[in-house]
Amino acid sequence: MSEPVLQTENLTKRFGGLTAIDNLSISLSPARIHAIIGPNGAGKTTFFNLVTGLLSPSSGRIFFRGRDITGCRPYVISRMGIKRTLQVKSVFPDLNVADNLWITRQARNRFLNPFRAAAGDRDTRMRVEQTLEQIGLTALAERPAGTLSYGDVAMLEIGMALISEPSLLLLDEPTCGMSPAETSRAVAKIRDLAHTIDIVIIEHDMDVVFGIADDITVFAQGAILASGNPAAIVDDERVLEAYLGRPEDEDFMEEALNA
Amino acid sequence: MRRRSIEMALAAAGAAFLVTVPWSIPALIDNFWVSVITEILIWSLFAASVNLLFGYVGLLSFGQALYFGFGMYGVALGIDRLGLSFWPAFGLGIAAAMTMALVSGIFAVRLSWHYFAIITVVFSLIFYFLAVSMKPLTGGDDGINFTLPPVFRFDGKAIGLTDPTFQYFFVLAVVSLCFFLMYRLINSPLGKGFLAIRDNNLRASLIGLNVYALRLIAFVMAGCLAGVSGALFAFFGRYASATYMFYQVSGEAVVWTIVGGAGTMFGPLVGTALFIVIREIVSSHWEHHSLIVGLLAILSVIFAPRGIVGLWNSWMIRLTGRETVKKAPSRLTLRAEP
Amino acid sequence: MKDTVLLLAMNGLIWGLIIALIALGLSIIFGLLDIINIAHGDFFMVGTVLAWFSLSVTGNFWIGFLVAPLIGFLLGAIIQRLVIQPIHGVAALSIVATFGLSLILQETVRITFGATPRRILAPIQGTVPLFGVDYEIYRLFAAAVALAALAGFFFFLQHTRLGIWMRAVRHDRETAIAMGIPARRVYVMTFGIGFALAAFGGAVAAPITTVDFRGGVDVLPFCFMAVIIGGLGNLPGTVAAAVLLSFLEGLIQSVADPTIARISSLVLMSAVLLLRPQGLFGGFTK
Repeated sequence: MSEPVLQTENLTKRFGGLTAIDNLSISLSPARIHAIIGPNGAGKTTFFNLVTGLLSPSSGRIFFRGRDITGCRPYVISRMGIKRTLQVKSVFPDLNVADNLWITRQARNRFLNPFRAAAGDRDTRMRVEQTLEQIGLTALAERPAGTLSYGDVAMLEIGMALISEPSLLLLDEPTCGMSPAETSRAVAKIRDLAHTIDIVIIEHDMDVVFGIADDITVFAQGAILASGNPAAIVDDERVLEAYLGRPEDEDFMEEALNA
Repeated sequence: MRRRSIEMALAAAGAAFLVTVPWSIPALIDNFWVSVITEILIWSLFAASVNLLFGYVGLLSFGQALYFGFGMYGVALGIDRLGLSFWPAFGLGIAAAMTMALVSGIFAVRLSWHYFAIITVVFSLIFYFLAVSMKPLTGGDDGINFTLPPVFRFDGKAIGLTDPTFQYFFVLAVVSLCFFLMYRLINSPLGKGFLAIRDNNLRASLIGLNVYALRLIAFVMAGCLAGVSGALFAFFGRYASATYMFYQVSGEAVVWTIVGGAGTMFGPLVGTALFIVIREIVSSHWEHHSLIVGLLAILSVIFAPRGIVGLWNSWMIRLTGRETVKKAPSRLTLRAEP
Repeated sequence: MKDTVLLLAMNGLIWGLIIALIALGLSIIFGLLDIINIAHGDFFMVGTVLAWFSLSVTGNFWIGFLVAPLIGFLLGAIIQRLVIQPIHGVAALSIVATFGLSLILQETVRITFGATPRRILAPIQGTVPLFGVDYEIYRLFAAAVALAALAGFFFFLQHTRLGIWMRAVRHDRETAIAMGIPARRVYVMTFGIGFALAAFGGAVAAPITTVDFRGGVDVLPFCFMAVIIGGLGNLPGTVAAAVLLSFLEGLIQSVADPTIARISSLVLMSAVLLLRPQGLFGGFTK
C-alpha cells in the first residue's frame, strides 16, 4: 500500500455562514482513477479549488504525495504537477490552438525567455504537434481558441492537461456539454492517460463514471457520504437516497454498471 | 501570401518615408513638420508603453505619465543640476523611470483592473503634485530649461541634437530600436506568457505561470519605454515641466493607443500620428481644433472599435480570405474582466 | 488656529457632500453601465456654466437649480443614444468616446462662455456663528441642499419603478431583460440621471468655486477615487467615501498647504486601495 496521491486532514472551508467543505478527510490511492460524484452544491468543485490553491482552507491540511501543500499559491501547486480543467471550459481565447498548447508547455519553465523567438523552440513545437494529433485538433491549430466549438474547447483543455505532463490531473466535468461521440473520444483519452497519470474526475454523467472509475467518492453537503468501488456505491442505500433519487433508479444503475 | 506582401510593401514604404523625412518634408511642405514628425515618434513610443500593458498584458494604466516624467526630469535635472553629459543623463532618466516603475508596480500589479487603473492615476497624481510643490527643483508647471550637451564628441568636433537632421535621426533610431525590441518581446516565450495572462489570468496561474511576476516585469518594461520617451522629449525640447506628468497626458496616450489599435504593433504609432497631425493641421486654420479631435475620437471608436490597425486587419481578411495572425484581440473590446 | 481647523474641516465636509452628488452620478454610470466616463468632471463643469447662464439671463440664481439638472438630464440621454449605445457600452472604448466628449464639452463651453474664469456671488450673503466660527450661510445652505438631493436620490432608487429597474439591471442584466425590464431605456435614463446629478452638483457649487471651462479637471480623479474606494457598485459607499476623503483633505489643509494636503489624501487613498482592495465599504463584483 503506497503513499496516497492526495490526502486531506479535517479540511474545512467556510464562506461566511455557509460551510462548503465540512471536516473532510479523504485519502486517494495512486494508480486508480477516482471519481467524485454528488448533487450540485455538494462541494466537489470547491474541493478542487482548495487542492489547486485557488481557495485557502478555513482549517485543515492538504497533502500531495506526502507533501503539505496547504496554502500554497496556485502557480506553485501547478508546478508541483497538479493540473486541472475547469467546470466552465477555460482556455486562452485569443491565442490560437497551437499557442494554447505551446504556452502550457512553456509554463513549466521557471524562466520565460524574452530574447529568443518563440517559434525557435523545437522541442516545444514537436510536443505541440504531437499533442495536437493526440487530441485530433491538428486541422484547427491556427484557429483562435475562442472560435472553437464547445466540444473542441473541452478537447483542447484535455490537450493542455496532456502536454503539461501532470503527475495528478483533476478533471472537472470534462464531458459536460459534449455530444455522445465526443464523450466516447474523451473517455478513451482519459483511460489512456490513466496509465501514466493519477486522475481524479468530477462527473455527473453516470455512464462515464461507471465506465472509467476504479473508486468513487460521493460528496454531499461538503462531506463524504460514501466511498468505495462502483459496485459498492450502487448498492449503498444512502447514496441512492441522497443522490440518485427514487428506488426505480436502481435498475438504471445496475444497467450502467453492467454496460 | 498576398497579404504578407502587401504589408511588407507598406512597411518598406513607411520605412523609406521615415528615412527621407529631413529632406522630403521640407521640400514638399515645411521645415516645421520635421519637428512635428519627430514629436510624433516620441509620443508614439509613449503610447507604445500604454499598449504594451493594455494590449498585450491586459493592464490598463492611466498613469504612464509618471514614468515619462521621471525620464524627462532624470535628463533635465541630470544635465542642469548634476552637470551630466548626454549619455549619462539619458541613462539616469531611463534608470529613474524603471526604478519608479518597479517600486510602484510591486504594489499596483497585485490589483484587479478597476483598482489597478485607479491606483496608477493616484500614484501619478501624487508625483505630479510633488513636482508642482517642489518648484525650485522642478520648475513646477512652468518647467525648467537647459542647454543641450552634445551627443557625440570626436576629433574635437561635437555632434548634438541642435542639428535638426541629426536630432530627427537620433529619435528615429531610438524609437525604432524600442519598437524592434517590443516586436522581439511579443514573439518570445515571455511575450506569449503575457498574452496568456491577458486572455485568462486564472488559467494562466493554473498552468503554472506566476501572474504577479510576469505582470511586474511587463510593468517595468512599459515604465522603461515611457522613460525613454520622456528622456527623448526632454532632449527634444531642452525642457521639462510638471505639466507632462498630469493624468491628462496619460489619458491621451490611452486614447491614441485604442484608436490606433490596442494589441497591435503599429497601433500606437498610427493613433498618435493621426491625432497629432489632425491637431496641427486644424489648429493652423481654426482655433477650435479640439472639437474636431473630440469628434474624431468618438467616430473612430464607433466605426473602428478595434482601432485603425484592427480595421486594416479586417479589410485584409476580406481581401485575402485568410485568418489573421496579428489582429487586435477581441478581449479588449469586450467588457474587461473584474 | 482652532478656528482654521474647524473652518477648513467644515469646508471639506460641505464640499464632500456636494462632490458626493457628482461622484454618485459617476457611480451609477461606472458602476452600473461599466462606462469609464472621462467627461464626468465636465458634466459638473457644464452645471456650473448653466447656473451662470441662468443667472445672467434671468437675474435669478435659483432657476439654475432647475435648469442645470434638467438640461443635464437631456444632454445625458442624448449622449447615451448617440455615443454610448453605438459602442455597446464596451469599457475600453468608452474611455476614448468620453475623452472625445470631454474635449467637445470643454471647447463648446470655451466658445460660448469664454476662456476666462468667472465667479458667481453667493445668492445668500452673510455669515452665521457656528461652533465659535463665522461661517458662510450659503455653504451651509449648499450642504443642506446636497443632503436633500442625496436623500431624494436614494428614495428614488428604492421606491420608484425606474429606480428598481436600475438596481435590477445592475444586479443581473440578463435576468432583468428576461423579466421584461427595458434595459436600453434604463441605460439612457441612467446616463441622463448621472449627468443631471453632476450638473446639479455644479449648480449648487457654482457660488463657492470658479466657473471655468477647465473646472472639471480636478473633480474627475476625485470622483473616480470616491467610486472605487467606496466600493465598486456600492452607491452609499461612494457617498461616504466622497465625504470622508474631502473632509480628511480639509482637515489636513489646516496644518499644511493645499498641495501637501492633496498629496497626503492621495497617499491615504493608495493605502486604502492596497490594503482593502474591495473598497472601504465593500463593492460588488459583476
